[in-house]
Amino acid sequence: MITSKKRLTAGVFAGLAAASLVAGCSTKAADSNSSGTGGSAGGVKTDVGVTDTEISLGALTDQTGLFKVLGAASTQGNQMWADDVNADGGICGRQIKINVSDTGYSAEKAVTLYNQSKSKDLGYVQLIGSPAMAALKKPLVNDKIAAVPLSWSSRNLDVPNVLMVGTTYDVEVINGLAYLQKQGKIKDGDKIGHIYLKTEFGENGVEGSKYYASKHKMTVVESGVSATATDMTSSITALKGAGVKAIVVTSGPTQLASALGVARAQGLNVPFFGSSPTYTPQLLDTPAGALLTSGNFVTAGVVVPFNSAVPKAKEIASKWEKENKDGVPTFGMNLGYAMGMAWGAVLKQACSDGDLTRQGILDAIRKTSVDTQGLTPNQDFTHPGSPATREVFIYKPKKTEGGLDANPEKFISQEAQEYKAPFQE
Amino acid sequence: MSDTEIANPPATPETTGTTPVTARRSTAARVAPLIGWAVLLLVLFLTPVYVPGEWLSVLCWIMAGGVAAMGLTMLIGQAGQFSLGQAFFLLLGGVTYTVLAADGDAEYIGFGLPPLVALIGTIIISGLAGAAFAPISGRLRGIYLGVASLSLVFLGYYLSHELPMLAGSASSGRYAPTFSVPGFDFGETNPQLLLLNVPMGAAERQFWLFAGLTVIAYLVGQGAMKGRVGRGWRAVRDNEAVATVMGVSVPGEKAKAFAISSAYGGLAGVMVVWWYSGLMKPDEAVELGTYSTYTTIALLAMCVIGGLGSLGGAIAGSALVFGLPLALPLLTGSNQTVDASGTAFTPIVITNLVFGILIVLIVLFEPRGLAGLGTRLRNLIRR
Amino acid sequence: MTTFVQVLINGLGVGAVFGLLALGFVIIFKATEVVNFAHGSLALFGGYLAYQVKDSIGWFGAVIVGVLSAAILALAIERLLISRAKHASHDSLAIMTIGIDTIILADVVRRLGTAAAPFLGDPYDTKSVSLGSLTVSRTYLVALATALVLFTLFFIAFRKTSWGLQMRAQSENKEAAALMGIRSSRVTASAWVVGGLLAGIAVFFLATNDIGGGSGLLSAHTVAFAAFPAAIIGGLTSTEGSVIGGLIVGLTSALGAQYVNYEFGVVAVYLVMLVVLVVRPSGLFGRVDQVRV
Repeated sequence: MITSKKRLTAGVFAGLAAASLVAGCSTKAADSNSSGTGGSAGGVKTDVGVTDTEISLGALTDQTGLFKVLGAASTQGNQMWADDVNADGGICGRQIKINVSDTGYSAEKAVTLYNQSKSKDLGYVQLIGSPAMAALKKPLVNDKIAAVPLSWSSRNLDVPNVLMVGTTYDVEVINGLAYLQKQGKIKDGDKIGHIYLKTEFGENGVEGSKYYASKHKMTVVESGVSATATDMTSSITALKGAGVKAIVVTSGPTQLASALGVARAQGLNVPFFGSSPTYTPQLLDTPAGALLTSGNFVTAGVVVPFNSAVPKAKEIASKWEKENKDGVPTFGMNLGYAMGMAWGAVLKQACSDGDLTRQGILDAIRKTSVDTQGLTPNQDFTHPGSPATREVFIYKPKKTEGGLDANPEKFISQEAQEYKAPFQE
Repeated sequence: MSDTEIANPPATPETTGTTPVTARRSTAARVAPLIGWAVLLLVLFLTPVYVPGEWLSVLCWIMAGGVAAMGLTMLIGQAGQFSLGQAFFLLLGGVTYTVLAADGDAEYIGFGLPPLVALIGTIIISGLAGAAFAPISGRLRGIYLGVASLSLVFLGYYLSHELPMLAGSASSGRYAPTFSVPGFDFGETNPQLLLLNVPMGAAERQFWLFAGLTVIAYLVGQGAMKGRVGRGWRAVRDNEAVATVMGVSVPGEKAKAFAISSAYGGLAGVMVVWWYSGLMKPDEAVELGTYSTYTTIALLAMCVIGGLGSLGGAIAGSALVFGLPLALPLLTGSNQTVDASGTAFTPIVITNLVFGILIVLIVLFEPRGLAGLGTRLRNLIRR
Repeated sequence: MTTFVQVLINGLGVGAVFGLLALGFVIIFKATEVVNFAHGSLALFGGYLAYQVKDSIGWFGAVIVGVLSAAILALAIERLLISRAKHASHDSLAIMTIGIDTIILADVVRRLGTAAAPFLGDPYDTKSVSLGSLTVSRTYLVALATALVLFTLFFIAFRKTSWGLQMRAQSENKEAAALMGIRSSRVTASAWVVGGLLAGIAVFFLATNDIGGGSGLLSAHTVAFAAFPAAIIGGLTSTEGSVIGGLIVGLTSALGAQYVNYEFGVVAVYLVMLVVLVVRPSGLFGRVDQVRV
């Protein structure tokens, strides 16, 4: 009768466990009440993440995965913004607190960390990566939470919850091609190669190149690759065979470096335009470094480089260098700072509306435009579905602090202005 | 019918068929298991009242992995068929449910069936797909079968990218409806239902749904393993020639094992879609993501860690393999600093290290997995 | 036509690297019947240490350090872990190598941090060679040549030396080999060492811009996964088969990526493998197991 004895023991244990559970009180009931109703301290309505003295924002970043270079730098930028704001007395009489969580570029970790932080943070000053963005978009909408994504697909602009600082991948590529044409490197009727990741990022980039091509009788030769692809030989060979006159790359640095290397090896001397995520200054120390600075490659971005002469950027750079002796400087700090400034402007708007609730933030976003003191072009969030700006900086890689030429050309093309984004009203 | 210890842990002596059937069980022996189950169900019912939302989502993720691993552990531990293809059936289940349950539009194919019908249809279709693999699985053995089934994961990745009208675009995916039966919507975001003064929202309801499905999956699996089906599998696993002599259809048993395992995989795939708020999105790369080779190996790891052939072990394995990486970052919580060099021991780095070390230690010191460990502990208590 | 020849050369070059990994994989499997999921990590570990010393002792010194450290790691895995877990089944040991792989990968990635990715192909990386109308990356040619030399050396050793004899005897019948006085532990340890050496050499081709792209060493771990189907296609018990399997995988993915699309190149490898297995369930050259009744 061993079986029965065992079962009995098990049953008693389980029973005891259950009894202790029922006897104890659930903390959830109290919790959800306090967070649900909130209050109206100092004439300002609040709900989650805002007290009389503090506004808490979350940062779902990547410190361990594919995007840890960008993630770490942007988060530092976020923090610097919060420090500066707090030193000036905060916003709406409240200090800004940023709670950083590491998702490791994994969607499932992003979901659980989101579920944890949503009960204490008003919104997100950073949400990194398209898998996390895709997984969290519906929860963000359901919970009425706003987040600044570190991924720039215009396909995410359908809801006000996505507070996108910068321009979108499609507009960036349109500007990139227009820039190449202005430089006389391509002309109407040419064939354009496009190597892209089969992800949100890559496919949104292709929407841009197709639009530009349609305006200039060009044809786009597509070559989609997966996110962990490393060897672009087949793509380059195919594009060379098709006789392309320029190549657009919307991929990661891995694929860009390979594409440049293979193109050189095969004697395909055409100009390259890479979307902003293709380039990191770290690439300059790799075998592809010389190809990046040869003048055949340009990229674009939404913020000024690390070594820019813009006063705000100088301030950020000197502060960063003091605190990070052995880090690799990138434009990520400026980006993170600008993302913070966008949140700041929204918070100020919401404050003057007397409503710092989540719904209040969403309402404020559509009334906000922000001057980032030259870090980025001015950002205008008032047009649903349309990128906050259509202007980009054309970057040229250079072996210097931050890896970019300090004076990028600010550029906006006619085509980019006329382009109708997928959800533009 | 002989059973090796590893494949059939003594935790479930009923399944071995070696326990002599007692003519009359005492009343206590008959009632105790029922009480045990009743208490378990009560605990599961009350869990959402006490456990915060993020932990409910960790538990739900563990159960989704657990259901997939239960199917796989029956296939490997009971029927002796090595498989590295379970992540493919997760994908297949997710896509099938989405296509059946979601409404069609210009971009996506969808039939708009009621969720319950779609769920049952998904389980059946996944099972049939597993059976369709039989001509290949019947010919192969051991690691060759394992790697052959791994090719399903690659094929699934490729097809999910080639057929976005079914699987959703790789960029932002497509949405399937959450589960609901007439009168009760499991995706309710604005709940009127209060239990002990706690509102039962989507997270709480999802836990009930997942717990219910996991319990059903466990009972069905237990039933299959105890009965004729399980005896047939073990006969095939132990010696195919002998099994044939005894009148067991070897190809038939293998196909049956694959079908049942795949049906579990399909169900788990639906649970994964629900867990992601209904989002069905193909991975960005075959090595990385929800339906990737990483997941397929993780599912295998669950079975071995749990103890091959043990259903309870599969769930315990999932708690370690799927649960730990989500739980540790929650426990360490957020902080206010960030390390610029990127070489810090972040919670995720620590999780990966702990996870790897635990696997090594378990194989080193308890080859029968957590199920074996459980048996040892019980013996210790009883003594 | 030039495209076709170019694709062939690229495919053979990458295939040779897969062959190096697959051969090590098969040697380990033959000696211990363990499927080594940590094979990519052996390469990664060797590559990481080589990168650490490259600037101070030069490239050739780094090659020696990298190859030796991969071999030492393999030996340590076998001696300290695999051989200690005597009661674990082969499947469990395979899972243990997953655990080892997770640990090494997590820590190497952490150590690399946000600094530039390591590259190890200094003498040949991103340098092309013109052969008539063809331009071929030097990495592929060096890889092909190196692999050919190593394969030849290995097969001579495997056939002619007593080590090779012991290896073959043990994989035929472990008990009989033990009775004949072959020390099983020495044979298995040496098999892991050889597997580690080969992985340590392969990483000097994987961690290049030509094969690994802009993330260099970090790609090595992912790319090394392709050695798995290579070993299966050739037959897990066949050393010759692993070399041919590697070349088949390299050619299939190059041709598939070129003439259909990139992603088809990845899946085509597995389709070829499925076809091979349906026709020959133990791979092209694998031993067909006799079933005892």
